[in-house]
Amino acid sequence: MRAEHRKDPEHDPVAERFAARLRDPVPLTDRVERAVLRRLEAEAAERRDDRSRWRKFVAAMALAAGIAIVFGLGVLVGRRSAVPAPTDAEVRSVEFVLRTAADSAVALVGDFNDWDPSATPLRPAADSLWSVVVPLRPGRYRYTFIVDGTRWYRDPSAPRALEDDFGTPTSVITVAHR
Amino acid sequence: MTARVSLPEVSPSDAELVQRVRQGNLDAYGLLMVRYRLRFGRYAFHLLGNESDAEDALQDAFFLAYRSIDQCREPARFGAWLFRILVNRCRTMAVQRGRDAARRVPFEAADIVGVAHPAESVVTREEIHRALGALVPEQREAFLLKYVEEMTYEEMVELTGAKESALKMRVKRACERLRRLLGEHRAS
Repeated sequence: MRAEHRKDPEHDPVAERFAARLRDPVPLTDRVERAVLRRLEAEAAERRDDRSRWRKFVAAMALAAGIAIVFGLGVLVGRRSAVPAPTDAEVRSVEFVLRTAADSAVALVGDFNDWDPSATPLRPAADSLWSVVVPLRPGRYRYTFIVDGTRWYRDPSAPRALEDDFGTPTSVITVAHR
Repeated sequence: MTARVSLPEVSPSDAELVQRVRQGNLDAYGLLMVRYRLRFGRYAFHLLGNESDAEDALQDAFFLAYRSIDQCREPARFGAWLFRILVNRCRTMAVQRGRDAARRVPFEAADIVGVAHPAESVVTREEIHRALGALVPEQREAFLLKYVEEMTYEEMVELTGAKESALKMRVKRACERLRRLLGEHRAS
């Protein structure tokens, strides 16, 4: 038993005996790793295919430009590549704002950053306002704010998440398709 | 949260493996997964009640962690970071499963009474596991974090975002309910 628990007068000795029987490792099989590696490899293959398609597209555009020059159209002469940079038209910029008298830091955690408190810090603005802009694809996201690394706050301007059964103050935002 | 949910110092360290993963080494990630499947499988199994759901939760957590590995600011504490992802994934699955009444049947208290052996002086691991399933998810989570994972309330507050008073109440109620379900005398 952990030393802090031994000193805790509220530590229940009967529950401790129950828990002791649950502490053995549960030998889940290596199906877990194999399935994850398959997903990751499939995803990597998809990315390679996308890059390959993109290279083919660029090559086709270059060929088309060359043909145009040869035939004297001159449309593309003197211009840089007419190929647009790849963009994700579905991504929307969403601003999250919290008014709080934080001493040091406010972080945004949610489904979009794996609830990592170090991933999305808010920046301070005037009058105790903190904000951050996050690019999000359409979908439904649960999130909350962590103030000074310890206090969790639901977004007062957003609906409460229905899954908030565990007492964690959680809000929900739905990003619509354009 | 402290490094309580990380493993003791092993070689190669988590920090080294995370570095290799960031360089595109999938084998390094495989090693991390083996390491933490054994460590965290227990939590997912007891929270969700069966191996299949536990494996699904772990798979999702590993997958999400890999995709955001660049956001792991402290690679030496990869385990703590991964555990947070897993706890959230288990919560979501527990809530989804809670909406499916049929899947709650194996955890009904009546079942536990039915398998009890009055002459038996010690409850079995299986009976405790089944009794855990009769708790509401937030009490089960609090009990597992406090008693099985041996976290402090401070660590639990940081991990879950719930207030310490609420967590203490959940743990207390979980203990009371487990005592009732399993019979206090049988644990002694």
